[in-house]
Amino acid sequence: MPESKIAMTVREPKGDVRIIDIAGELTSFSEPVLAEAYEDADRPGVKTVLLNFSDLDYMNSGGIGLLVTTLIRAQRKSQALGAFGLTDHYRQIFELTRLDEAIGIYDDEQSALKGS
Amino acid sequence: MALRRMRNRAVPAETVPVIPTEVIDGGAIPDNDPLFALLLATGGPVEVDRITITSPALDEIRQQGIQLIVPLISQGELIGTLSLSRRLSEQPYSTDDRKLLAGLAGQVAPAIRVAQLVRQQEAQAKERERIEQELRVAALIQQTLLPKELPQLPGWNIEAYYQSARAVGGDFYDFIPLTEGRIGLVIGDVTDKGVPAALVMATTRSTLRSIATQHDDPGKVLALANESLVPEIPPAMFVTCLYGILNPETGDLVFANAGHNLPYVRSADGVRELRARGMPLGLMPGMVYEVNSAKLDLGETVLLTSDGIVEAHSADGEMFGFDRLMELVGKDQEEEDLISQVLEELRRFRPSDLEQEDDVTMVAIRRASSALESASAFGDEPGLISTFTYPSSSGNERRAMDEVADVVAGLGMNGDRLERLKTAVSETTMNAIEHGNHGDPAKLVGVDVLASTKRILVRIRDQGTAPVPAALIPNLEAKLAGEQGPRGWGLFLIEKMVDVMRTATNDGHHTVELEMSREGD
Repeated sequence: MPESKIAMTVREPKGDVRIIDIAGELTSFSEPVLAEAYEDADRPGVKTVLLNFSDLDYMNSGGIGLLVTTLIRAQRKSQALGAFGLTDHYRQIFELTRLDEAIGIYDDEQSALKGS
Repeated sequence: MALRRMRNRAVPAETVPVIPTEVIDGGAIPDNDPLFALLLATGGPVEVDRITITSPALDEIRQQGIQLIVPLISQGELIGTLSLSRRLSEQPYSTDDRKLLAGLAGQVAPAIRVAQLVRQQEAQAKERERIEQELRVAALIQQTLLPKELPQLPGWNIEAYYQSARAVGGDFYDFIPLTEGRIGLVIGDVTDKGVPAALVMATTRSTLRSIATQHDDPGKVLALANESLVPEIPPAMFVTCLYGILNPETGDLVFANAGHNLPYVRSADGVRELRARGMPLGLMPGMVYEVNSAKLDLGETVLLTSDGIVEAHSADGEMFGFDRLMELVGKDQEEEDLISQVLEELRRFRPSDLEQEDDVTMVAIRRASSALESASAFGDEPGLISTFTYPSSSGNERRAMDEVADVVAGLGMNGDRLERLKTAVSETTMNAIEHGNHGDPAKLVGVDVLASTKRILVRIRDQGTAPVPAALIPNLEAKLAGEQGPRGWGLFLIEKMVDVMRTATNDGHHTVELEMSREGD
């Protein structure tokens, strides 16, 4: 499997919220990276995980599949999944795939934290 | 009784009316023989013995033992005679006999005249039909052999025009696909017209086609074609022909010329001729053809023509001529459609009621100065702007996406619509790599960008043989409930991203065509 051109870091802006900063390409090859980041974010007491797409270069249908997998994982743990920093184009894709109904979409980090 | 034919301009000698079986055909009386005038003037039966004039026809008639000549006159024209020899009773012809014969001649003459006219018309109609048929055959040969489609070269606009004269000439042009994306350009003209010219054109065309794919030197191609055509072509005929090899990537054109009109290049600095010396094909063996090369820069057009243009005549009998054509090519750099320009000038020059003397053939090959210009030159019918190929390895879908995006951005597409097309291109290319070609790097994915003034098409082709599956409508609830796999968004997204998506499977290829309107760009 080719190496994924992606980097993720996990931040803790509030006790019950974690932010995963995503930089690079989100494709099916990003799966181990996202899985690891999610594991890192998934601490006891965490109610919301926010995905920061501000530094996203590219996402394809494989990346969308990965988000669905992450959403299933979050729902199992009764955690809310949110996203911010999406371009209009990717927002439109979230709407078309109806991911926006299951993932809270925010303009930026501030409103995401307010909403969660 | 003999029925004589008159050698008369109005009635061809071949149109023989019914001839009585027991008697000999007396031959015709020439209309310059004094007897002719005498019979016409007399109007009734004449006894041969009483004629005193000197006439070769009369001598012949006497030798045949004819005694009485009854002229057959219809509407003042002598159309034949009834010639009677001695009566079986040896008695001379009586006044009653002559009256009877005069009456008979009066009734028979118009009937014979009608029969003659009918025959004559039938013969003319047959001749016309034969000529028409030959014209149809010649036109059919020509139409069958001229290219049905023009080659699509990215960054180039190729146009061709052919208008046959009534008596179809032997003009032809051809495009021969060569290795490494190069293309052979042919324009030629067979002397003579009609079926013979069409057949020589067919022979020349197939000869050039077979030689061109084996040799890279246009001079050698013409020399070999000449050797093969000399024994094939009738002595009075020959073929002028220009053959060039164009490399569309660099604009390099290498060419040789067998006595054909020189090509003209319209450039920013005006016009230049592409000269190369050589004798027409089919005249004599052992000919050598000079080879020259030219480079066509962005925005330049090379125009290939046949004689029908420069040899067209005005109402005053003036010829269109090379100078006029060259001047026309050299002016008006803004105007891109050179063929229309030449045709317009030709129409102005030659009055419309004057019949076109020779075939008019033109091929214009323009190197676009930009993708935008290329697309606008294509008009309503999308033409090829760029073409790419990628090995089927993961990650190349992004290269395809970026490279197509560069081209499409050059066509003025931007913002959300550009992003949507990019996503569709990337998804489609990924499907081609993973599903069509099963990730085998030896298998290629071809991506063509086409554009017209109204639309942009991206065609993505893989080497898959099974049909492209219909898009499964993904259902997020089912996926979240684990009833559908988390993936399977690709085709759904592609369909949503573009205005129209089409799929086709044939000749061992899947092709997915993505269409976006250019409106709003």
